[in-house]
Amino acid sequence: MNTKITSVLDVFKQAANTLSNPEVQEWKRQGGKVVGYFYSYIPEEIATAAGLLPFKIRGTGSPGAQLADKYFSQNVCSFVRDTFELALKGELGFLDGVVTTNSCDHLRRIYDNWLTIENNPCFHFVHLPKKRGKEQTDLYYRELLQFKKSIEENFGVQITDDKLGDAIKLINEKRRLQREIYELKKKGNPPLTGAETLAIMVAGTAMPVTRYNQLLQELIAELGMSEDRKAPIARLMLVGGELDNPELIEILESQGGLVVTDALWYGTKAIWNNVAETGDPLSALASYYLEDRPVCPRLFGTFSERFKYVKKMAEDYKADGIISVRLLLCDQWGFEQDDLAGFLKEEKIPYLRLETEYALGTTGQLKTRVQAFLETLREV
Amino acid sequence: MEAKTGLERMYEYTGRLQAVIGMLEQAPPEQQNPVLIGLMRLILEADEKTIDCALNGKPFVSGWYGNAPEIYTSMGIHFINPVFAILVHMYLTDLYDVKEADKISLPDDVCSLIRFSAYAVQERLLPRPTAIIAMLQPCDAELMLHQSYQSSEHWGGVPTFALDPAYGNTDEDFRYFTGELKRMITFLEELTGKKFDVNKLREVVEETNRQYEAWAEYNELRRVVPCPGGSFQGSAACWPLTQHIPSGDPRSTQLIKMMVADAEQRVKAGKGFVENERIRILWADLAPQWADLISPWLAEEWGANVVMDFQGYTPYTPIDTSTEDTMLFGLARRALSEVPMIRQGRGTVETMIEDMTRIIRDYSIDCVIFPGHMGHKDQAGSIHFMREVCRSLNVPLLCLTTSLFDERYTPLDKVKQQISEFFTVTGLGNK
Ligand code: SF4
Ligand code: SF4
Repeated sequence: MNTKITSVLDVFKQAANTLSNPEVQEWKRQGGKVVGYFYSYIPEEIATAAGLLPFKIRGTGSPGAQLADKYFSQNVCSFVRDTFELALKGELGFLDGVVTTNSCDHLRRIYDNWLTIENNPCFHFVHLPKKRGKEQTDLYYRELLQFKKSIEENFGVQITDDKLGDAIKLINEKRRLQREIYELKKKGNPPLTGAETLAIMVAGTAMPVTRYNQLLQELIAELGMSEDRKAPIARLMLVGGELDNPELIEILESQGGLVVTDALWYGTKAIWNNVAETGDPLSALASYYLEDRPVCPRLFGTFSERFKYVKKMAEDYKADGIISVRLLLCDQWGFEQDDLAGFLKEEKIPYLRLETEYALGTTGQLKTRVQAFLETLREV
Repeated sequence: MEAKTGLERMYEYTGRLQAVIGMLEQAPPEQQNPVLIGLMRLILEADEKTIDCALNGKPFVSGWYGNAPEIYTSMGIHFINPVFAILVHMYLTDLYDVKEADKISLPDDVCSLIRFSAYAVQERLLPRPTAIIAMLQPCDAELMLHQSYQSSEHWGGVPTFALDPAYGNTDEDFRYFTGELKRMITFLEELTGKKFDVNKLREVVEETNRQYEAWAEYNELRRVVPCPGGSFQGSAACWPLTQHIPSGDPRSTQLIKMMVADAEQRVKAGKGFVENERIRILWADLAPQWADLISPWLAEEWGANVVMDFQGYTPYTPIDTSTEDTMLFGLARRALSEVPMIRQGRGTVETMIEDMTRIIRDYSIDCVIFPGHMGHKDQAGSIHFMREVCRSLNVPLLCLTTSLFDERYTPLDKVKQQISEFFTVTGLGNK
């Protein structure tokens, strides 16, 4: 790999492997403000239009949940426990504000608990509907309107329609570039590993978008000219929720397979189509986030659509097998993994379901299971 | 072999219930429990109705706690809850289904109640309903369960309407859910051909208002020291009577009134249910299925009584029956904020804090036991608040980890041992 590729990838990897990365620090040095948010239903466009840096909160690098234990028992998923540990340790102190949501039962209590801590950054909570429909998009629109007002009040800015329209265009451009990255992965010998791809995608939620787009453009140009890598022994697709750890994919790929595509929220699901650039921008965002883009299990009634998406991605990327990963205790993915197993069996697509904790401990068992899966793929 | 229709199991249920009712009725008069017999009869009747619907093509829906059953009943539509029969028959069959449910492939960290329901549908223990009214609150598991019916062979393709809950407790939130109820009515009318009739709904709601009023009266009596009812009594009966039996049945009201009368008599006589009641407990969750296995032990060993739990503490607001809109709004409020399991589980943590605070004060509580049900991921994030409430009111708190629906999760001996240690360490045992 040439040095240009390596250095751009290093910027992305660093952003993915840390929280307050150099790009964020530079932004803050120049007087910029950062707004943290959880999961995928808080439109980054609104904070961007306000001139803020939207930062998707993770538990990256958490040393465990010793402090968080006081707030969350062992019955809560490790993403929430580890992330809250970082909040308690002050590692999220670079955030000037945080917006949370009722994405799941575990995550929604982060808001209640964080509010009890002095000088907490929480300033808004977005209520998400739990199914799709016209009334739900209307409700979500009203929630976005409140969120927009809340940002305006808290940060003393005004978000005009023009600014929102510009932010939509900018983030659409980011999605377009990210799709180009995925396009490269259709090759028989993709120029990026799954772990590298995830690092690129995570970085896209953790640094100023203009700078990110610029780096991504450079990377795409260089990758187009780079010499081919060796073809993998199996092309894999990864399915899951908000998996954000490239190291996890490294482990899965350590047995010779390559993750060529995914149905992840730090992956294709977040970028597969664009927000409409005409009409009322806030309505366009409400429609996009609730109706137009690939969907997640918490939106009731989207069952067959979700599975069709998985199947189509697997076909388009010529995946030999699909691996799903669930964090222990997650109810949404407990069901989703199970239902997906039935669907993929009917479709005769090889499938492996894995469970893990957010912070990877011993990885031997994961490796062994992937190795066994690859062997079954070879037999197919 | 022909696939099961679900009726096989229904016949088994009705046969068993008939036998149990027969046995209960033969007990000597002083040992008879008329409320239990009455409840069993109503359950049997509901099961027979399910069989009738399935055999004769009459519409019936699969519902869940809190989705305004008053509406189906007023439309003449029978309803079932897929998990209820498993709970009713659990201890009549030596936990047969509880053990069988271990075999399904859902992870075992998913709420046991939800697992039983998934198992019941997968194993065809119920007939295929005309429609499913999916409940998306208070937990993720409910939403996912109702979604997963679509992938089951038995219930896949059943027309489904999902009620989307609001997250807050404002009038605007209740109005949003009122809209959901209206859309549910349209869905049911179109699917079943049954007509919604506001006067029939009024009749049903007037009766359920009376039921909830009687339940509130009963709860009021439990505040007396010593408590006139035993651990979990009231909640164990009133929940099925209001959520599982076709709504608005005057016989259900009558049974709750019998409980009130019994409690009144005891209060007048200054007689507590637990002899020499020394420890008054708030059980900060639903009543466990294994309540009958620990209640006598609590009473005999420690003079302890669970005088209130979250299943019983559902302060109902009477529904204004003057117009269709006021009734649907009242039902929306009831569904979102007054039904057990949903009241403290949905939304932010304030309701739970307020309820705990009020119960501890109003019911002269000596200690709080939080059972730490493995399914309650939201509550698992509320432990800090529980501690704070207990600390501020100077009441000790015991946090356990259990499954409310599966006694095997934490063996009862261990639960008892933890409770004993807690009573000893806090000095409550020497009261
Ligand atoms: S992994 Fe599952 S349980 Fe954990 S925060 Fe995400 S959706 Fe919630
Ligand atoms: S008991 Fe709790 S976790 Fe289980 S279904 Fe009810 S609300 Fe959900």
